[in-house]
Amino acid sequence: MAEFSWDIRSPLDRALVAGPHGARGDAGVSLTEIRNFDLVQVMARRGKAADVAKAAKARFGVAAPETPKAVGAADAMLIWSGPDQFMVLSKGGKHGIEALGQAFASSASLSDQSHARVLISIAGTKARTMLAKLSSIDLHPDVFAVGSAAATSMDHTSVTLWRGNDRPDGQAVFNLLAFATFAESLWHTVLDSAAEYGVTISHSEEL
Amino acid sequence: MRITCPFCGERELGEFTYLGDAKPVRPAADAGEDAVYDYVYLRDNIAGVMSENWYHGGGCRAWLKVTRNTLTHEISAVEPAAGAGAAKVGA
Ligand SMILES: [Zn+2]
Repeated sequence: MAEFSWDIRSPLDRALVAGPHGARGDAGVSLTEIRNFDLVQVMARRGKAADVAKAAKARFGVAAPETPKAVGAADAMLIWSGPDQFMVLSKGGKHGIEALGQAFASSASLSDQSHARVLISIAGTKARTMLAKLSSIDLHPDVFAVGSAAATSMDHTSVTLWRGNDRPDGQAVFNLLAFATFAESLWHTVLDSAAEYGVTISHSEEL
Repeated sequence: MRITCPFCGERELGEFTYLGDAKPVRPAADAGEDAVYDYVYLRDNIAGVMSENWYHGGGCRAWLKVTRNTLTHEISAVEPAAGAGAAKVGA
């Protein structure tokens, strides 16, 4: 049998060039790709939604989102992805597929999405203006507050969008999860939309 | 046109896919050839209020039953399709 050697790379390994992009001067948009995270899709089995809610509460100490919200636990983020389903975003394997498989063994079907998605964190004074070109979601602070989430589409690509905690300087942070195979396409669309405001590009291992 | 998904809220048409008439019901196994032919092929071309299946593929990926007036595009009701998407629905 052939021997395979798998090399784990970010879906933006080729496309992402760290540094400034677009208009010069103070960057209006900052784009940070988050790499090497654990992501597990949890979908309640038919009629088991209450059991999943109970298992999630026991595991994470917080209630899993039942509406389009992202809920922060001590060491994980629970992000709504559809009716009776959510994603668990974490680092370091503590809430990886093996661990969660036991916690939800009798109530949910799980799918490991850790290397199947790209995660892009978007901030900056022009973040909302830039996203308004790509999204039909109302991102006004009164409507899309910290912890709001949406399963939606950008540039015909399905994405999960949620607003994280504000940065220390008070700026809003928008997180974007998309299928890895669409990562480069979406990335270029985001770059094109952001170029006129000036962009700072980086990647990070920190959630 | 916008559709208010019962799970996601109001969304643009581009996030949805139209499947067609939500009324036809699969006939019983012994219903006979005419009933099956009708179920598979024959559709009413309704000018007015119609019950339709829509898929929120660009969002929460739930199947929805939409009541829409085909003359005005006015949508009077949107509900989850039975047994589709949610573990709660049709359980
Ligand atoms: Zn929806």
